[in-house]
Amino acid sequence: MEDANNSYDLIIIGGGPAGLSAAIYGGRAKLKTLLINKGTLGGMADTTREIVNYPGTIKVSGPDLMGDFAKHAESFGVEFLKDEVVGTDFAGERKKVTTKKKKEFFAKAVIIAVGNEPRLLDIPGEKELQGSGVAYCATCDAEFFEGEDVVVIGSGDQAIEEGMYIAKFARKVTVIVLHDEGILDCNKVSAEGALRHEKMEFVWNSTIEEVLGEESVEGVKIRNIKTGELTEFPCQGVFFFVGMIPSTQFLKASRLEMDKRGYIPVSEQMETNLEGVYAVGDNRSKYLRQVVTAASDGATAAVAAERYIEEQDSFQLKVLQSEKKVLLLFFDAFNHESLEFSTSLEEVNLELPESYKIVKIDMATKKNLAHKYQIDKVPSVVLLEKGLEIKRLNCCTGKDKLKSQL
Amino acid sequence: MPLQQLNSNTFEEMIYDKGKPCLVIFSRKTCHVCKQVVPLLEELQPKYEGVFGFYYVDIEENAGLFQRFSLKGVPQILYFNEGEFQGKHAGLVDEEKVEEKIAAVQEA
Repeated sequence: MEDANNSYDLIIIGGGPAGLSAAIYGGRAKLKTLLINKGTLGGMADTTREIVNYPGTIKVSGPDLMGDFAKHAESFGVEFLKDEVVGTDFAGERKKVTTKKKKEFFAKAVIIAVGNEPRLLDIPGEKELQGSGVAYCATCDAEFFEGEDVVVIGSGDQAIEEGMYIAKFARKVTVIVLHDEGILDCNKVSAEGALRHEKMEFVWNSTIEEVLGEESVEGVKIRNIKTGELTEFPCQGVFFFVGMIPSTQFLKASRLEMDKRGYIPVSEQMETNLEGVYAVGDNRSKYLRQVVTAASDGATAAVAAERYIEEQDSFQLKVLQSEKKVLLLFFDAFNHESLEFSTSLEEVNLELPESYKIVKIDMATKKNLAHKYQIDKVPSVVLLEKGLEIKRLNCCTGKDKLKSQL
Repeated sequence: MPLQQLNSNTFEEMIYDKGKPCLVIFSRKTCHVCKQVVPLLEELQPKYEGVFGFYYVDIEENAGLFQRFSLKGVPQILYFNEGEFQGKHAGLVDEEKVEEKIAAVQEA
């Protein structure tokens, strides 16, 4: 049940750089804002040893930068909750989220910023030997492979940069790359460093099919994707960096539009297909997934949400709670006929013994309201009394006929 | 409440001498996955007060213990009953998995 304690203007799901930036903007706009985050704040950025491309900050550790983001949001009065959102109901004007600890929260708008998680290859031996040589986090585990042979799978930024970090400890790091010789998916600086690195070797056009070993990793089975040839390669450690998948599975039942991989497509204002619901950061379809673009998304969505909430609130006050009967006129500034009609309606209204309150809605900017009243053409007029629809006017007539309808 | 920390001496005592069913998380301060798993155990702990032990080993301070179980990587949760190793969880786990394992250890 909704009460003052679980009711917010804005709920942000996820506490990485996108969610925290949205929180900073939401808090500063005096929206009553709740940020729900399941792990430690900072998301993927919190797992990054070194960030060297966040403007104005020459070099900083991920946890330090995210700590500052969080403090910044807190300074604007944002509330934080450590819990996991497992269910949502975005159908109505009040958005509802349900958490793992069985709590319910309500808000006028929701921003989804749940990010990405590492993709598993799901090959034999991967799960079984996790923690016994199969690893996903170099910062956590690289030191345990001191003087040993380690295989890294993948060639993106993470694979190559983490590979170089592992090479500080390991005897040798062998990188398994899908592409032709010399081609790595990562940034050029890292690629050059890795290709020159004396402890790093590369196996091209290949992937791995199985992690070998009983108690701990003893090797991997490598498949050359060009020749189909299988080779067993001895090693004591395997690090998987085979890309990410969006953590949006919990939204499957929400009618939120997602692409095949689970990324959420959004407009320039970060709007999803559902009114009042926004998606930002790594979990949306986008070109560049970095702290700086996540922060930008968060700011945009929070401002869009703020305007949306303002629109909802003012509509509530001006229209739904109006003492006078309301004529809700939908027009389009680029449609001449709708502008002329608007003038006639004003004139007719003045001639009536008891005038109406006319509220004009620009279809171009108030799509949500047009959708709510299922308006598909301009001009359109809906007559409301105490928020309830009484009738719709026939707008294709002269002044007299218009008057007779009122 | 923070988990009770063990060193090699107290580890012997709690796991082998007392032999009560328990779990031990091997963790380190600089590991972000550990930072997600440790709080989860701290939250579960009160529910099992008196029937199932929850302990913590910092592997940087107790490298010997870590090597003894030939672990590679943190976090890892090791389960024991009557001084016998009952299995482990490596990496990120959720409370359901931990509770399932606790139930299995208790039944065994």
